[in-house]
Amino acid sequence: MLEFRNITKIYESKKKQVVGVDDVSLKINKGDIFGIVGYSGAGKSSLLRCVNLLERPSSGKVLIDGVDLTQLSSGSLRTARLKIGMIFQHFYLISQKTVGENIAFALRAAKTPKNKINERVKELLEMVGLTDKKDVFPAQLSGGQKQRVGIARALANNPSILLCDEATSALDPKTTLSILKLLKQINEKLGITIVLITHEMNVVKEICNRMAIMQDGKVIEEGAVYDIFAQPIKPLTQEFINSVVSFEIPSEILKDVKGQVIKLLFKGEVAGEGLISDTIQQFDVKGNFLHGTIEYIQERPLGIFIMELQGEKNAVNEAKKYMEQRGALVEVVKHV
Amino acid sequence: MFDFPYFITMLPDIWEAFKETVVMIGIALSISIIIGLPFGVLLFVTDKGLFWENRFVKNIFGFAVNLVRSIPFIILLVALFPLTKILVGTTIGPIAASVSLSVAAIPYFARLVESSLRDIDKGVIEATIAVGATPWMIIKDVLLPEAKSTIIRGITLTVISLVAYSAMAGTIGGGGIGDLAIRFGYYRYDNTIMISTVVILIIFVQLIQLIGEQFAKSLDKR
Repeated sequence: MLEFRNITKIYESKKKQVVGVDDVSLKINKGDIFGIVGYSGAGKSSLLRCVNLLERPSSGKVLIDGVDLTQLSSGSLRTARLKIGMIFQHFYLISQKTVGENIAFALRAAKTPKNKINERVKELLEMVGLTDKKDVFPAQLSGGQKQRVGIARALANNPSILLCDEATSALDPKTTLSILKLLKQINEKLGITIVLITHEMNVVKEICNRMAIMQDGKVIEEGAVYDIFAQPIKPLTQEFINSVVSFEIPSEILKDVKGQVIKLLFKGEVAGEGLISDTIQQFDVKGNFLHGTIEYIQERPLGIFIMELQGEKNAVNEAKKYMEQRGALVEVVKHV
Repeated sequence: MFDFPYFITMLPDIWEAFKETVVMIGIALSISIIIGLPFGVLLFVTDKGLFWENRFVKNIFGFAVNLVRSIPFIILLVALFPLTKILVGTTIGPIAASVSLSVAAIPYFARLVESSLRDIDKGVIEATIAVGATPWMIIKDVLLPEAKSTIIRGITLTVISLVAYSAMAGTIGGGGIGDLAIRFGYYRYDNTIMISTVVILIIFVQLIQLIGEQFAKSLDKR
C-alpha cells in the first residue's frame, strides 16, 4: 500500500515561497489504478514525484508498505526505487542507446546477472509488443512505441508500483487508448499498483478505479471513480466530469418546457429504461426525454437522463417517489 | 614573393616542424582529455539539483578553471617554466611546450565537457535516477553517451585552439610550425616560409574541423 501522510512541498525562490503540495494525505491500495486529476499547477506532478523522491517533500511521510521512504539512506532509496517504475510524458529514453540497451540499463541498475539480461529484455519487449525493435534507436520510433519502451524499462525490475507522469498527454487519441489498454493489462496481469496523473478525464474514466482531484496543492475530493462520476461534489470536480459527460441543456429549450425537469441517475444494475416506462404506465404523467446517456465506467453502467414530467403535481411527486424507491437518484433541475 | 625552389629545399625543415607541432598537440590533447573530461563531469554533477550537488567542490573547481583561463597564454608559458623544468628537465622543445599547452587546454576542455553535459535533457537523467541507477552508471551510461557527439566537437575545438597556442609556444623555443613561422617569416622577412607555414596551418585546421564534424555526426543516433 502506498500512503501519503501530510505531504507538503514548498518551493523556495529568492523572492517568495510557493506551496506546491499542501498537506496532502492519501491512501492508495495495492492493485489500484489511481488517477490524480487537476489543472497544471495544481500540484499533482509534485505529489507524484514525491513517491520516488525525485522531489523531497518539505514535510510529511511517504509510506510504501509501511516503510517511510523519506527516512531511507541514499543506498536504500536506490534499492527502493528499483521497485517503483515511472514513465513520463516525454518518455526520456537514452537517445544514444538502442531500445534493448535502454531496458537492459534498468536491469543492470538492479544488478541482474549478465546471462539473465537478454532473456528478460526479450520478455519485456514481448509484453509491450515491440519484439522487432530491440536494436533500433529511440529516434526511429513513434511516440506510442517510445512510451512502450518506457513502460518496458519501468517494469524491468518487477516493481510493485508504476507512476505515470502525464504518460499519454503527448500522444494522439488512438495511441493513448492503446497505451491505456496496455497499462490496464499490466495492472491486471501483474497486480501492479498504478498511480497516474493527468488532466484528461477520459484517461481516468477509461482505466482508473479510484481518483483524487487536486486544486491549489490540496486534494479536494477523493473516492471511487464511479461514485465521483455519478455524484461529483466540488465545482471543480463537476467541471472535470462535464468535460467528458456533459448535460448542458440549451436555455432556449429549458424555457419552452412546461413540466418539471428532473435529472435521473441510475447506478449500476438499475435498469433505467424499464423503470421509466413502468413509471409512466403506473402514474398519470407524461414523460419527455431532453437528454440521456448510459456511460460505462469500470464496466458498470451509469445511466443519466434528463426528462420533463408533465401532469398533476401529486402524480408527478408520486412518480418521483416511485423511481427513488426503485433505486434511481432523482434531482429536480427546474420546477414548474 | 613566393620562391618555389627555395620552398622545396626547405621542405625537410617544414616537415620536421610539422611533426613537432603534431607531437606537442598530441601530448597536450591526450592529457587534457584524460584530466579535463573527469573535471568537466565533476563540474556538472556537483551543480545544483544534480546527484552529487556540492557547492564547495563546484566553487573550488570552478574558480581553478577560471583562474587558468584568465591568464594570457604567453604569460602562462613563461610562468610554467619551473614546473616544465621539473617535469621534463628542459624548457626547450615540443615536449616541454606540451606541459603549458596541457595546462591551458585542461580547463578549456573541462568547460566544453560541462556545457555538453548541460545540453542533455534533465528528464533523461531524472528517468535513470528513478530507475534506481547508481551515479557511476548514470555518468558512464547516460551522461557520456548522450553528450558523446558534442564532446567530440569539443575535442575538435580544443585541437584547433591548441594549434593556435602551439604557434605561440614556438616563439619561446617550443619548436613546431609556429616557431618556423616566427624565426623565418617574422624575424627574417622570409615570405616563402611565412606563406607556406600559414597555408599549412589553414589546411591543418580545416582538416581537423572536417574530420571532427564527420566523426561527431556519425556517432549521433538522434
